[in-house]
Amino acid sequence: MDLNFDLENSYTAFYPMLVIILFAVVLPAIHRLVKSSKGLAGVSLVGILISAAIVVYNIMDGYPDPIVFNGTPMLTFDVFAAVFSLVFLSVSALVCLLAARYVEKDSHLAEFFSLTLLATAGMMIVASASDIIMMFVGLETTSIASYALVAFRKRDRLSTEAGVKYVIIGGFSTALALYGISLLYGLSGTTNFELMNEFFALNGSSSLALLGIGLMIAGFGFKIALVPFHMWAPDVYEGAPTPTSTLLAAGSKSMGFVLLFKMLLVALIALKADWEVVVGILAILTMTVGNLLALAQTSMKRMLAYSSIAQAGYVIIAIAVATQFAVESGIFHIITHAFMKAGAFIVVGALIYKVGMGEKITDYKGLAVRAPLVAFAMMIFMFALAGIPPLSGFWSKVYLFSGAVEASTVFDQGWLIWLAIVGILNSALSLYYYARVVKYMYVDKPASHDKIRVPTTMAVAIAVCLIATIVIGLWPDIVVDYCAQAASYFSQLPLGRPW
Amino acid sequence: MIPLEWFLCLSAILFVIGAVGVLTKRNAIIVLMCVELMLNAANINFVAFSSYTGGLTGQVFAVFAIAIAAAEVAVGLAIVMTLYKARDTVNVDEVKLLRW
Repeated sequence: MDLNFDLENSYTAFYPMLVIILFAVVLPAIHRLVKSSKGLAGVSLVGILISAAIVVYNIMDGYPDPIVFNGTPMLTFDVFAAVFSLVFLSVSALVCLLAARYVEKDSHLAEFFSLTLLATAGMMIVASASDIIMMFVGLETTSIASYALVAFRKRDRLSTEAGVKYVIIGGFSTALALYGISLLYGLSGTTNFELMNEFFALNGSSSLALLGIGLMIAGFGFKIALVPFHMWAPDVYEGAPTPTSTLLAAGSKSMGFVLLFKMLLVALIALKADWEVVVGILAILTMTVGNLLALAQTSMKRMLAYSSIAQAGYVIIAIAVATQFAVESGIFHIITHAFMKAGAFIVVGALIYKVGMGEKITDYKGLAVRAPLVAFAMMIFMFALAGIPPLSGFWSKVYLFSGAVEASTVFDQGWLIWLAIVGILNSALSLYYYARVVKYMYVDKPASHDKIRVPTTMAVAIAVCLIATIVIGLWPDIVVDYCAQAASYFSQLPLGRPW
Repeated sequence: MIPLEWFLCLSAILFVIGAVGVLTKRNAIIVLMCVELMLNAANINFVAFSSYTGGLTGQVFAVFAIAIAAAEVAVGLAIVMTLYKARDTVNVDEVKLLRW
């Protein structure tokens, strides 16, 4: 019953998060000196860059020792954590660039950037956790920071309403997941992912374990807005300030996948037979319902929200298939989706900021005349989200679906092919509402002919997303290699590489 | 010594009361209280399992969960306050500018 505090621990593995947390804590003090939102965004970007430099140094120079507590590792900064940390840091940098001008008229500016950084630190902790306690702390750091970020505009009726909905749904889902985890802990007597897997591999399933897994999937399903736990997402994305919507759609959604990857594919992989069909059904439901509801939307942010629900459905295919190749393609799709979706949200945010337009999809009529470059970027993001070659979204979908097809033939699980078929049908379906935006922008007549000039910081953010989307589309190997290394973290899974 | 099953029954009852409250109550503050009930049901599980199976992990987890729940409810209540200031209501049925 003794607790062994390892005083010899080196905390190098925690440095990337530590830098971010330090900057987040110091930012309100810096606000005394730097009054403008641009300056604060600049300071946040410095923090993000230092943290990213440490991550890159780790990738080049070897990974630090895990932080050990009581004999089991708590935090392991390996290649999986490094890849996801870079994704989270890029999203957070894009959010800061967008917010540099977007929130300039709000009060409590320092808190906005501080909370954004804290949310990022939480996501990075989740990505490097090797124990459920650590994962839970990281998850809640992100969640609590994003509750405040959603309700950031205190006098704005939509923002506060979205905040209340998010905090209630968020708390409810945390409670569901925590109760499920408590049952799994009670059965296995450990909160370490690897040890929990060893226990279930030895002792098999039980009805209590099923209840625990069910509650946990429901709880985390709320976090990544899987159908039927998705109702909150469009409301929150629409009501929240656009930088926050970007952070939620591109950042904390990716964190939700990390949660499910770690829980289902490491800790509970021995019980795969119990959950694979449920996850498969969730994937099919999420893709189909997300796309069908997106067809009917008239608000741009709501349409993007439903589109990211549908995209979550594609990634969940990777968990149902559960081969290393599928996880690799899942990670690949998370990365490409982060850039495409962040890009689309930043375009929406820039237009709301600049001309107060953009809430309705019909407001985009004739955008190609008024702002040719922004319209071009938006077209690329829409086509990438729909999965048109040669953009990044096409390749990640090819990888996801071929992983499912491969597993259905080689591992003799015929039903997996349906995931690929439904996914392909859904991609075709989704083209309708993505192409509709492009049609409005390029074919229809604009309401006015005034030129729109997007502020430089937002233009930089859009350009970064655009370059990432096109470059990953033309040379997918740059990213796929790292995804493959990250997927090797799931050493319990069969390889399943189709080529 | 009280058998483990009793603790599990207690926590299950608390959890269900909380879940039903979240789904049926319309006052945002009561909903937050019901969320707390659900979180504490999980804490009872952690502590009970931990003292019956040996090992302190569950109790450590419960301490973390209590701290996190406190932070969550603090932020939650602050957001409900801003809602009350902006809209003069804490009834979740009346906040429907954003359609489900």
